[in-house]
Amino acid sequence: MQNISKKRTSYQLINKKVPYLFILPWIIGFLVFTLGPLIFSLIMSFFNWPITSEPTFVGIENYKTMFTQDPQFYKSIIITFKFAAIFVPLNLAIALILALLITQPLKGMKFFRTIFYLPAVVSGVAISIIWGWIFNSEYGILNYILSLIGVEGPMWLVDPKWAIFTIVIASAWGVGIMMLIFYTNIKGIPTELYEAAAIDGAGPLRQFFSITIPSITPTILFNVITSVIGALQQLALVLLLTGGGPLKSTYFYGLYVYNNAFKHHQLGYASANAWFMFIVVLLLTMVIFKTSSTWVFYENEVKKEGKKGRRKK
Amino acid sequence: MKLVKFKAILVLFIAAILLLAGCSSSSSGDKTSDGKVKLRFATWDVGDDVSLQQDMIDKFNEANENIEVVLEAYGSEYDTKITAGMGAKDAPDIMYMWNYPQYKDALEPLDSYIEKEGAEYKDNFYETLWNYNSADGQILGLPVGYTTHVVYYNKAIFDEAGVDYPKSGWTWEDLQETAKKISNKDSKVSGFAFSGKPDPYDFEMFLWGNNTSYVDKDGNLNGNLNSKQSVEVFEMFQNMAKDGSAIPTEGSGSQEMKSGKVAMFVYGAWGLTPLKEAGIDYGVVELPSFKGGKSVSILSSSGVSISKNSEHKEEAFEFLKFWTNEEANKERIGFELPVLKSVVESEQLEQDPVKSVFYSMLEKSDGYTPASFIVEDWSKVSENLTQTFESIFNPSTLQNPKEALDSAVE
Repeated sequence: MQNISKKRTSYQLINKKVPYLFILPWIIGFLVFTLGPLIFSLIMSFFNWPITSEPTFVGIENYKTMFTQDPQFYKSIIITFKFAAIFVPLNLAIALILALLITQPLKGMKFFRTIFYLPAVVSGVAISIIWGWIFNSEYGILNYILSLIGVEGPMWLVDPKWAIFTIVIASAWGVGIMMLIFYTNIKGIPTELYEAAAIDGAGPLRQFFSITIPSITPTILFNVITSVIGALQQLALVLLLTGGGPLKSTYFYGLYVYNNAFKHHQLGYASANAWFMFIVVLLLTMVIFKTSSTWVFYENEVKKEGKKGRRKK
Repeated sequence: MKLVKFKAILVLFIAAILLLAGCSSSSSGDKTSDGKVKLRFATWDVGDDVSLQQDMIDKFNEANENIEVVLEAYGSEYDTKITAGMGAKDAPDIMYMWNYPQYKDALEPLDSYIEKEGAEYKDNFYETLWNYNSADGQILGLPVGYTTHVVYYNKAIFDEAGVDYPKSGWTWEDLQETAKKISNKDSKVSGFAFSGKPDPYDFEMFLWGNNTSYVDKDGNLNGNLNSKQSVEVFEMFQNMAKDGSAIPTEGSGSQEMKSGKVAMFVYGAWGLTPLKEAGIDYGVVELPSFKGGKSVSILSSSGVSISKNSEHKEEAFEFLKFWTNEEANKERIGFELPVLKSVVESEQLEQDPVKSVFYSMLEKSDGYTPASFIVEDWSKVSENLTQTFESIFNPSTLQNPKEALDSAVE
């Protein structure tokens, strides 16, 4: 009896190790390429490191400079949050509307699904180049189309007032992944619910707000968090499309960190910048999670209630 | 159980670090399995230029039995990659280089190597180029290529407007007049295009032309950047934008030139092939001069340097010599202006109606030192200047040049 139980425990132990063995490549990758550099950058944020020569320890000097002597630091934070405030709600709304559209049982819907998703597959560099052409105020196609309907388009990439919207528009173009996540979730909502609601006399709008929205709140939560993080870290587009201009109106925090590191060769300072943003993102995510208990509705809660209901019948 | 897990993770972590360390130490300065010295050579070129470079390297490797050069093409990420390499003490042995002041601490001074080759060797390069391949009085790279800036003009537009082509010795007033004559709102033709957010490095040549510069010898902006002559230059460009005879462009202006709607713009030798491919029949002419000033251009130059951390500097210099010799200059002639006087002579470039312009600009531009070689933290200064210049030329701001420059000095 004892023998058997011993065997069982050793078998269990192997059983427990095997999964780790399978994810070993990922673990190594995570340690070497994510956790390692992360810790290294934290250490480096306490050094002055002009990259071509040796790093010297400066304590919290980098953080002090950042908070007290660098006006660009605050400017970049404000611009980045402004961008996030416009981009996140807009992006969610567009993704949700598109997802609703592509769940309609119409002919040729597969074609539209592919079209809407396509931009998500295109690389950020290609997107930047394409939008650079579209937005060009002299020869761009967007202003040409606007001129056809009698509107004189703004100088998208030249006017500091408009530049941030060009980034919003270009970013929102990559909405496909979020749309797909919404789509699969909406598809998963049982049709009985809608049928029951229809019998009760609920119109499409009422159905949307009383069935669709509550059912997909976990997905909304996920999409809110990923797009907030994505918006705060936006780099590729500003780097390639505007280079932070015009007049630094799109000098996002990501670009600020990147330039400090690779243009001004202040790697220690840039590490401090990056860690500040890391903490901000962390706190923001925590706050969103905390509030989520009041508005996110998980499926297992729904199911339990559903079963109870059936029994009562 | 928890402790075991923690230990396992720790072991993994250490293994991973060792793995990383193993990677980085094996890649630099080692000998290959057959006893050859292995040299890593980083280039910023892309596409066809890289295959041409690879062919040249193959020739070198064949001729030198004990050295093997490996080409690493970093493309547009060049600066990011060599910066990261320098930080990790794993920079390539040989690197293409132009921004010497920023990288000087990581580069090997070459004066003693060059001295050994004799005065004749050094004199065959154009003198001006040595200044641009040095920092703090030390030569840090051998010149590979260069370009001066010239005015490109679209012959078709000039013919249609019935205006004579510009000739060397012309002034900025001539250019403005020509631009005004040619500009046509109905056909959307602009007489002149200039970058609305110019690279401060390039723009300094216009200040030189008007007998001033961004900074004095000690690197002071005040009294130089905001001097009367400097303000004049900015006012002139701004006025051209205001009266519609010129357009400030979002990029360098080459895109607009390619579209065939722009009659003139200032650019380096980079435009020669792309404009031809775009079907533009163009001519080039020396930069105009200011009243009482000179026609002078800044140089955009490239060289090859050796990393200070390289373990095989002698071999690396052998390769540098090969990379800048006459044959190599001739090989590159399709996309790089030769830097050796002997090659310019043998290829009769002084007689070439287009390329000769770049050489006469080169001769006129000796003795000027760009601010990037004088100011200690140029990359920061440059960023501020970029913003200032943009505020002067951006159509939605068009800030008063005097005010903008005065506040930039502070």
